[in-house]
Amino acid sequence: MKRPAALWIWMILLAAFGRPVSARAHEVRPGYLELREIGTGLFELSWKAPVAGAATIPLHPVFSGNCSMGLGTAAPAPGALLWHTTLRCKEGLEGTRLTIEGLDAAVTDVLVRVERLDGTSETHLLRPASPQLSFGHARGRAARAGAYLWLGIEHILLGVDHLLFVFGLLLIVGRRWMLVKTITAFTIAHSITLAVATLGYASAPLMPLNASIALSILFLGPEIVRVWRGETSFTIRHPWVIAFAFGLLHGFGFASGLTSMGLPHAEIPLALLLFNVGVEIGQISFLLLILALERSFDVLQISWPRWVHHLPGYLVGSLGAFWTLQRTFLLLEKLR
Amino acid sequence: MSRLSGPERMPVQPAATGRLHPIRLRPAVPAALLALTLPGVAHAHLVTTGLGPVYDGMSHLFLSPDDLLPALAVGLYAGLRGAAYGRRAIFVLPLAWLAGGIVGLLSSGTAPPSSLTTASFLVMGALVASDARLSLPSFAALAVLLGLLHGTANGASMDTATSEALRALLGISLSLFVLLSLTSAFVLGLKSHAARIAVRVAGSWIMATGILLLGWSLRRKG
Repeated sequence: MKRPAALWIWMILLAAFGRPVSARAHEVRPGYLELREIGTGLFELSWKAPVAGAATIPLHPVFSGNCSMGLGTAAPAPGALLWHTTLRCKEGLEGTRLTIEGLDAAVTDVLVRVERLDGTSETHLLRPASPQLSFGHARGRAARAGAYLWLGIEHILLGVDHLLFVFGLLLIVGRRWMLVKTITAFTIAHSITLAVATLGYASAPLMPLNASIALSILFLGPEIVRVWRGETSFTIRHPWVIAFAFGLLHGFGFASGLTSMGLPHAEIPLALLLFNVGVEIGQISFLLLILALERSFDVLQISWPRWVHHLPGYLVGSLGAFWTLQRTFLLLEKLR
Repeated sequence: MSRLSGPERMPVQPAATGRLHPIRLRPAVPAALLALTLPGVAHAHLVTTGLGPVYDGMSHLFLSPDDLLPALAVGLYAGLRGAAYGRRAIFVLPLAWLAGGIVGLLSSGTAPPSSLTTASFLVMGALVASDARLSLPSFAALAVLLGLLHGTANGASMDTATSEALRALLGISLSLFVLLSLTSAFVLGLKSHAARIAVRVAGSWIMATGILLLGWSLRRKG
């Protein structure tokens, strides 16, 4: 194998998720709070509280000032718990402060959107570092674009299964030109399905999708071993084809980061574009980091032990296998 | 105040606060120097990225000049001296930093004196600026010392020895590994004399920053 740098990248990924043997990848999505004005000072409030696996992340929207909430209803939704209630603000929403309690200790974001009777709207992205906002300060298109861009970057940085797939491709592809072709094919493919799914033309059920994404990682394991042995296969000769085919699957996975929020139709084109750009920024940064590290190790003339050379490939294969089994069992359990 | 209730609430940590002391003009340099050598209590917290403790740790290094600059100086110096120094630095410093971090976590918030961490700016900056020849074992020992000092300071600034704190320390160490690999390899690859001079100038700036920080510390403690 040619990329011992990969071991360290893998360790970063492994550590970043803390619980690498869980099926956690893509289980945590951003929260979404929507306020739709239905009368003067009266709002319909929808709160999609993200869940991590079976556990609800303890996030609580808290409104300051003269706003009071009605009795609400809660219902489970894919990847979220959905609350519906009303919010009455006697003196209007302007100046009211919203705080998402618990966000500062969570690993997710909350997108907040307000639509008023006069047709104006405002969108905010609340993050752990800034979990509150004051309404009435409408944000420009650039700020909203920045919010969607960040969501895309965040989605890929926390999407360890996508990164692991890209990493597996790197271990297979030797020549730089082929690497460019392969990554471009993956990008085009996942952009297609991301757009198709976000625009509502197609969808993929979450649990089989996650199992299939895990299977795509497992698929790369034996191919990496073939590369070590100097053997060849269709995947080794034409990795871009495999990248394209599996990229279509991964695109549905990326789309879950947007579709689970239920954005209004008018907002989707901007959100889709910037979210995808964010995903690409994260993906390319990851790739460049691996390549830069690989180059650095060459310059520093580091000679890695044999087991270090082989470890990344085994990790890709074994983790892919584990996730495939785990997600398949979860799927079968749900079907029963 | 209206609150949408739900499952049990997560504890919210209060933010750390800090206040600068007014400047005291009376000459108290000896007392200030003594104060600088005494252990301090750490109050700093890691930046919250929203991407989890490892990413918090990684971003901490790049957003904290007092940790970043000495580490950068180690990378620059290793690059100036050769591949063997680079190979030693990329493993020794992150591991020592991690070990120091664990010690700091277990030390109930007692940080090493700020004069020592500031001294690392001066020492490493001076080494880079002068391009001094230091033997490989001496360089490794210096890197271990620097890692232990800064790691202990980082660990002591964290609230409790939780798994999240450990993962944050791991994030710091991994980003150190990446930083040192990239920096030392970059400098090692520089062929022109002018480029090596530029690296040494960067070292002198790091040293100057250390002097400024030392002066700042003296003013605060005096």
